[in-house]
Amino acid sequence: QAPIVIKFSHVVAADTPKGKASEFFKKRAEELTKGKVKVEVFANSALYKDKEELEALQLGAVQMLAPSLAKFGPLGVKEFEAFDLPYIFDDYTELHRITQGPVGASILKKLEPKGIVGLAFWDNGFKSFSANTPIRTPADLKGKKLRIQSSKVLEEEIRSVGGLPQVMAFSEVYQALQTGVVDGTENPHSNMYTQKMHEVQKHLTVTDHGYLGYAVIANKKFWDGLPADVRGQLEQAMKESTVYANKIAQEENDKSLEAIKKSGKTQVYVPTKEEKLAFKKALVPVHQKMEGRIGKELIQSIYKETGFDPAKL
Amino acid sequence: MKILDRLEEWIITLLMGGATAIIFFAVVHRYLAGLSIPGLQDWLLSLNVSWTQELCIIMFVWMAKFGAAYGVRTGIHVGVDVLINRLSDSNRSKFILFGLMAGALFTSVVATLGAHFVWENGAHYAFLSLTGAEFGDVPEGPTTPDLEWPTWIVYSAIPLGSSLMCFRFLQVAWNFVRTGELPHHDHGHVDGLDDEVLPVDVDVYGMGDNLHMHDLKHRQVGDKKGGQQ
Amino acid sequence: MNAAIIFGILAVLMLTGMPISISLGLTVLTFLFTMTEVPLESVALKLFTGIEKFEIMAIPFFILAGNFLTHGGVAKRMINFATAMVGHWYGGLGLAGVLACALFAAVSGSSPATVVAIGSILLPAMVRAGFPNRFGAGIITTAGALGILIPPSIVMVMYSVATNTSVGALFMAGVVPGLALAATLGGVTWYRARKFDYPRQPKASFAERMKAFRDSVWGLLLIVVVMGGIYTGIFTPTEAAAMSAMYAFIVAVFVYKDMPLSDVPKVLLNSANMSAMLLYIITNAVLFSFIMTNENIPQALADWMLGNGLGVIAFLLAVNVLLLLAGNFMEPSSIVLIFAPILFPVAMKLGIDPVHFGIIMVVNMEVGMCHPPVGLNLYVASGITKMGITELTVAVWPWLLSMLVFLGLVTYWPGLSLWFPRMLGMM
Ligand code: NA
Ligand code: NA
Repeated sequence: QAPIVIKFSHVVAADTPKGKASEFFKKRAEELTKGKVKVEVFANSALYKDKEELEALQLGAVQMLAPSLAKFGPLGVKEFEAFDLPYIFDDYTELHRITQGPVGASILKKLEPKGIVGLAFWDNGFKSFSANTPIRTPADLKGKKLRIQSSKVLEEEIRSVGGLPQVMAFSEVYQALQTGVVDGTENPHSNMYTQKMHEVQKHLTVTDHGYLGYAVIANKKFWDGLPADVRGQLEQAMKESTVYANKIAQEENDKSLEAIKKSGKTQVYVPTKEEKLAFKKALVPVHQKMEGRIGKELIQSIYKETGFDPAKL
Repeated sequence: MKILDRLEEWIITLLMGGATAIIFFAVVHRYLAGLSIPGLQDWLLSLNVSWTQELCIIMFVWMAKFGAAYGVRTGIHVGVDVLINRLSDSNRSKFILFGLMAGALFTSVVATLGAHFVWENGAHYAFLSLTGAEFGDVPEGPTTPDLEWPTWIVYSAIPLGSSLMCFRFLQVAWNFVRTGELPHHDHGHVDGLDDEVLPVDVDVYGMGDNLHMHDLKHRQVGDKKGGQQ
Repeated sequence: MNAAIIFGILAVLMLTGMPISISLGLTVLTFLFTMTEVPLESVALKLFTGIEKFEIMAIPFFILAGNFLTHGGVAKRMINFATAMVGHWYGGLGLAGVLACALFAAVSGSSPATVVAIGSILLPAMVRAGFPNRFGAGIITTAGALGILIPPSIVMVMYSVATNTSVGALFMAGVVPGLALAATLGGVTWYRARKFDYPRQPKASFAERMKAFRDSVWGLLLIVVVMGGIYTGIFTPTEAAAMSAMYAFIVAVFVYKDMPLSDVPKVLLNSANMSAMLLYIITNAVLFSFIMTNENIPQALADWMLGNGLGVIAFLLAVNVLLLLAGNFMEPSSIVLIFAPILFPVAMKLGIDPVHFGIIMVVNMEVGMCHPPVGLNLYVASGITKMGITELTVAVWPWLLSMLVFLGLVTYWPGLSLWFPRMLGMM
């Protein structure tokens, strides 16, 4: 009998945390189902690009994806934009309370009317600002052209520090930074390092101001149509892959930060408590501005889980 | 028919010019916003122009879809015509007709698929909400990320452009059956070059280059049939 | 097996003479319909998203800029400038033609457009000055090909679209080979003019040179705008294309005033027509390469080739032969869009630099444009000179031969292409 083929497409390189995790999932899925399922991983947008993969999944042209969370707003599930809010999570513990708890599950559930099953959240990491000039205070970013990925929340975030948000494809960023089309950007350290952006940026401040993560999703019709035992095995494989994905993401981020420091090309600055608080004060008002889009209730329920109170800043 | 022709021409002309102006504006804006000129900088920073790339892309995709239909009417699409251009007139005309009907087939299939896709992608929902009917489990379609326009409107370039293109293929085929003539962005244009003024509509993809099928009416600039027009 | 079926359908459909874009599309539809479970609607989706990429938008922009320049008197002034500089050497106007083509290539992204712009003015002038028709035709046909090697270049944008290689780095990598090829073609011109004792122009005085320079400075400045703008980071390569279209419009209509404002809609329409044709090929080629990826064909092909012990030298030789053959039937954009996705994975596995590989393909396309049965430059030159294709082919051969030698040099000497972008830190 021919195996069930799962085409798993993503848009990043095979040696990134997400790329490795999807390969890990392939391995475990094929082992656990004893070959009843064959997973074909397509990296680097080889099969579908950023802008089309969600629609392709809805059509059933591809079975699994792991888009970044900012991609779900345009799909009509604005709840996902909560993850883009600056300083909504202070650290991984707070983050995982959401992504691996009931709030995260309820957000994933919102995808089902769109014909999509949300399987898990995979971390990439916390983002820091980089630029060619030192960044100590939010005012240092004023008038700076900062590259972001397409997202209304991130746009507002950049505006809150007086910067000029520039939406730009990830593949263009290195050269844009190198030539100076944009002055700076925000990235988890591993993205910064693997894209060699540290070679073309002079300063990096470990602001950890935002979260970048992915949702692993599947076509609902396909997923529900799987034999129950196979689906169970795939869910198990996904559980293991999530642990693996989050572990290597964190490791790679730490390693990358060290490597960036060592390269000597970018000066890494760790802000003091007071300096970080200043960034927080500048950026947290974005939460309230975005309430209309994301939903006040959801933001409140995240606050409740993480114990954050913007009034106490 | 004349109205449709002019409309088609105006749409693609305006899209071409408009997209250029928009990107020009975006670059100038970004450049000026980076200079710390008091007052001006704050005002420029407050302008939201992050939608310009998206709009430019949408305009060009529409331009491409309708322009492709216009291209059928002007005969600009290139093919591998070295072999069939060596056939006798009667054999060649069979291939020409086959090619034109293949074009009509492809574009009609794409128009149908595209219409279906647009319908599922939000047009159905929009239609229901417009008429005030129950949605049932019909999902609302996605929007574009920056402009937040419904994607089904943006994607309707596919069914609309392909339908028009299909119509153009049939029109050209019908004309060919009747007159033996294919649309040409005429080779004759380069004839008037002695006065050192190039006509604005001279077309480098239109000089009897074996990338286009030779019709039954025009003789080619070239070897076999002599240099006469 | 699937690969054989897909290429079989494609080859048969293409040979019937239907548009290349349609044969690509029908191949995909036929294959999807009969042999896979990929939903057909994904074809409709891909037809939109296939060109939904900002980098691709450089193509219409460069075409528009090129049309404004061609019709807006920029070419004429560049020729005058080139003539003032080198017209008194052996080869006179011919040498000026090579220089003018190189200058125009630095503002235009297309080779046939370069032939039209320079040839339509220079060729009649050369005949009047006493050069044989075929001498001028040979020069302009081949030197016009610089249009796609010296940046900006539409074919490079196509390659970057098909392989995700940086356009900026490709542009910079074209500079040195472009200048080297211009020098080569100039050398052949000089040698033949000396041998046959063709007329030379009187030497221009310093004042005349300054005047020619001042007249052409608006056109020459565009080189600074495009290359300088990209290099200094005022804009990205795509934005540079839009800026050059705007700049060319202003120069043609308001500075040189060789083009009335009323001609602008017509230029826009013609640019849109050609852009749409190329974009339609791109969309369908993206569709075609999607179906191949979906069937894992490029990877399988790469593994098979490497499994048979194919080395870098043999592979590059095979690539050149294949592309030169393809140049007999198709125009450059289609060749790049169809062959790059297939050849690229092999090149990567062999450790060939993606930018270098792009330049190899571009130089191949240049050769293909200059010989029959299909060769855009040749037909454009034929249209201008009203010479038959056979006669033109004979006229072109000395320069074409030197281009073939140059192709070998570019293929096996990566440093020639890569030194400049590396020096600029772009790769
Ligand atoms: Na060029
Ligand atoms: Na050729």
